[in-house]
Amino acid sequence: MQTSKETVVKATAEDGNPPGRPDFLSVKDFNFFYGKKQALYNISMDIPERQVTAFIGPSGCGKSTLLRNFNRMNELIDGVNHSGDIRILGKSIYDKGIEVISLRRSIGMVFQKSNPFPKSIYENVVFGLRISGKPSKADLDECVERSLRGAALWNEVKDRLHESALGLSGGQMQRLCIARAIANRPKVLLMDEPCSALDPIATVKIEELIRDLKREFTIVIVTHNMQQATRCSDNTAFFYLGKLVEYAETQKIFSNPSEKQTEDYITGRFG
Amino acid sequence: MDSTRHILTNFEDALDNLRKDVLMMSSLSFRSLENAKKGLFERDEDWCNTVIADDEEIDALEIQIDNEGMAIMLRFHPFASDLRNVIAAMKTSVNLERASDQSVGIARRARKLLLLPLLPSISRIEPIFNMALSVYNDAIRSYADGDIDLARTIKSRDRELDELNREFADNLTELMPRNPDYIRGFLELIFIARCLERIGDQAKNIAEDVIYAVSVKDVRHLHKAV
Repeated sequence: MQTSKETVVKATAEDGNPPGRPDFLSVKDFNFFYGKKQALYNISMDIPERQVTAFIGPSGCGKSTLLRNFNRMNELIDGVNHSGDIRILGKSIYDKGIEVISLRRSIGMVFQKSNPFPKSIYENVVFGLRISGKPSKADLDECVERSLRGAALWNEVKDRLHESALGLSGGQMQRLCIARAIANRPKVLLMDEPCSALDPIATVKIEELIRDLKREFTIVIVTHNMQQATRCSDNTAFFYLGKLVEYAETQKIFSNPSEKQTEDYITGRFG
Repeated sequence: MDSTRHILTNFEDALDNLRKDVLMMSSLSFRSLENAKKGLFERDEDWCNTVIADDEEIDALEIQIDNEGMAIMLRFHPFASDLRNVIAAMKTSVNLERASDQSVGIARRARKLLLLPLLPSISRIEPIFNMALSVYNDAIRSYADGDIDLARTIKSRDRELDELNREFADNLTELMPRNPDYIRGFLELIFIARCLERIGDQAKNIAEDVIYAVSVKDVRHLHKAV
């Protein structure tokens, strides 16, 4: 079982992406507690740059908890505590000089249920930019087109940018949330079950988008759908009862896992 | 090849049925080879006809196993050992079907030999037949038991079978000029030995798939002995 020993996967994906830094996002001996209850045990892993890393495991295994620690979102909950460290490009996210707001700006997040603001499509995308300064109209326009193109939504909404975002379909809303997340040009994109509320067609579009986005972003995705993990991710980490059981290239995990617990979980022998 | 039960009963049942069908097919296929031997050595046309008739059931099982394997992949998206076991079952059924075709080939030639006078050299092919039966039986057993140690013995024994076949063909070719009346019969025996050598190849293929399904090692096309 993989616990304290650092787990490393290959830094080069197989799709021609230029090799990135293998320890772009690095977790070291990380423990996390909700009050007295320990949710994560001694997690160590390196997440490579410009690759998709999937977190899988049964409900309550700690995968979303770890994801929410990457942008310190868990700190919004009372009584939480941690030990160990999480580093981005070698710099601890817990350094005293780090502003949580700017950290969250550099680590975009997309949630299970799309959550557009009750504003126009345009205003949803530029929301982060507006609250972080006074950008020019040209900057905002450029950001909207770039982000919506990046989220594969531009062609569908370019003629109604100033209509309410709440009029979009579920899949379009989720892509709008992705556009909003990438508008700030984050270093990392976190996705917590981004397709679980979508129909198969919308799911395929998001999955294709994930493969495109990794040319620019380092992506971590939590998913219960193992076919989705095999389709989208380069590396997969399996968590169980708050521990990192196995972390390896996705093909290895799903064809020949090293740990029996991983094998039993992915073949449906427990869960 | 994994005793732990799956939480999805339908999936477990589908995997069990697939495996049972492969085991059934292997039993029928091995029985055909044994019956072909009886047809040849007992000079009994009924055994030969049985082998030819039974091939239809074996062909039908091959199609059934393919369909079951496809359905499992479509419905349950198997991973890891489950996926390897489904693929191994489908590939094994192909090899079992091809081995059965060789038994049919032997039975047809044995039937032709009935029309000829008894060959004095027919007993020379018996060691090859016994070797082929043994190698084929062990390949099937290695699949049934997931026994990779047994599977690993098959490749070298297939080579021995190849060698026996070569020697047999050389010996009969030498005898031909001195026994012109038996040339047609000798040729039938050479073809039968060739069928047995091919059955060794199918046994080797089955063993390689067993090794892959159990240990994930792909040992096909390796020059060294497994």
